[in-house]
Amino acid sequence: MSCENLQELISLTLDGRLPEAERENVFDHVRVCRECGDRLSSLQTQRAILRKMAQAPVPADLAARLSVLASHERERQLARVSLGVRVRRMAAKIDLAFENLMRPVALPVTGGLVSALLLFGLMVPTLSFAHKTTGHESHADDVSEQLSRRDIFPATFPTGQLVTNPYGQTDDDDDSLRIEPVDSMPSDFLNIVDLTIDETGRVVDWTVVKGVITADMKSVILLSTFQPATNMGMATSGKIRMVQFAPSVTVHG
Amino acid sequence: MATSILDLSAQKALEGADSDDLRLVELLRTGEAQAYEELLTRFQQPAYALALRLLDDPSESADVVQEVFLKVFRNIASFRGQSSLKTWIYRITVNEAHNARRWFFRHRRREVELDSEPEEARNWKDIIPDGCLSPFDVAFEREQHVMLEAALEKLSPIFREAVVLRDITDMSYEEIAEVLGVSLGTVKSRILRGREALRAELVGSLKDRPAPRLVPKTAE
Repeated sequence: MSCENLQELISLTLDGRLPEAERENVFDHVRVCRECGDRLSSLQTQRAILRKMAQAPVPADLAARLSVLASHERERQLARVSLGVRVRRMAAKIDLAFENLMRPVALPVTGGLVSALLLFGLMVPTLSFAHKTTGHESHADDVSEQLSRRDIFPATFPTGQLVTNPYGQTDDDDDSLRIEPVDSMPSDFLNIVDLTIDETGRVVDWTVVKGVITADMKSVILLSTFQPATNMGMATSGKIRMVQFAPSVTVHG
Repeated sequence: MATSILDLSAQKALEGADSDDLRLVELLRTGEAQAYEELLTRFQQPAYALALRLLDDPSESADVVQEVFLKVFRNIASFRGQSSLKTWIYRITVNEAHNARRWFFRHRRREVELDSEPEEARNWKDIIPDGCLSPFDVAFEREQHVMLEAALEKLSPIFREAVVLRDITDMSYEEIAEVLGVSLGTVKSRILRGREALRAELVGSLKDRPAPRLVPKTAE
């Protein structure tokens, strides 16, 4: 038996694929031939080391990746098998897509809502609303309503009221002077003058809005005293409008 | 020579799937969670060890194994039981590793690794010796491993596949023939030539190493 022929037989011996008789022949040769003996022992060692390489541990991240993969593929398989699972998968996908869509706007929307509520809450005490009275309420109701309104609206409109008049009581029927609120705009009057009344009820300034300033008006400006406007119960300055149809006396110069 | 991975009908079935394999496959088809877990438990480690020895790159091997199991799960319906589950999975692994190696040589051969060596990235538990072997034995074994790994790397992929399947995964000649899609005679020849080439490589690497020189010096 030549050494070259024995190469294949040694390899087959290692794998246990040789009949008993042939194996004995190989061992007989190996005992006398040093080169073949070395070959057999080195191949045996080589095989033993290679066997140990089979124990390479699976990296933890690969194991995790494979578990996730198995889970996904199982879901796929289930979806293929049953309609219910397919519908559930679809619903879960839609749900996830909706959540992903809403997530970026959730915080701004909540923040905006909360800040709007906060601002509205802060503004409520400063807001004022007009209350209409029906006119059919009893006196007691009227008083209590006035009291409550005073509590809610402590400021009166700064409309003055004529207290003293050099001509005595003004008559509504004649064409003499009349006092109107400053925001009224009576179109049929000839002369209109706005007066600024200070907190003592005296006229401190005047402005001709329309027409001319008549002698009667000048007298009122110089001699009359007004009820001053109030704010929180305290006298304050305000404006009043003085109107006249026609001048009764024209002053020249 | 990329053969179709999943076409087993053309292959001569030397050993069919056993009842255990068929039961597992049936459970996989019905989407049983335990079957998926069992498949991974049985085959992830051998498949990884095989891929690692065929590619010599842990991260590349991990990708290959993931691809292998993806194909296994996706194509479990087409598994007819003509071969054993092990042979089927190993065949997919060998083909995937072959494809990965071709891709690697085409695209990434010139890339330079920036990451630290895998040896350095190992957990401290792997580095600290457990005390079962003496430091000499550990060093000796480690040296043998390193030399054999280097020699395997230099081996032609055709011989390497045969040697790895026989000596590392411990498959029979018939199973190897089925996995590689070649005849039994070719398997024998490849294993023989692969082993001889490996031995020659090892002997050559030992001869190339300079012997340590001990130069006596007088103490000063």
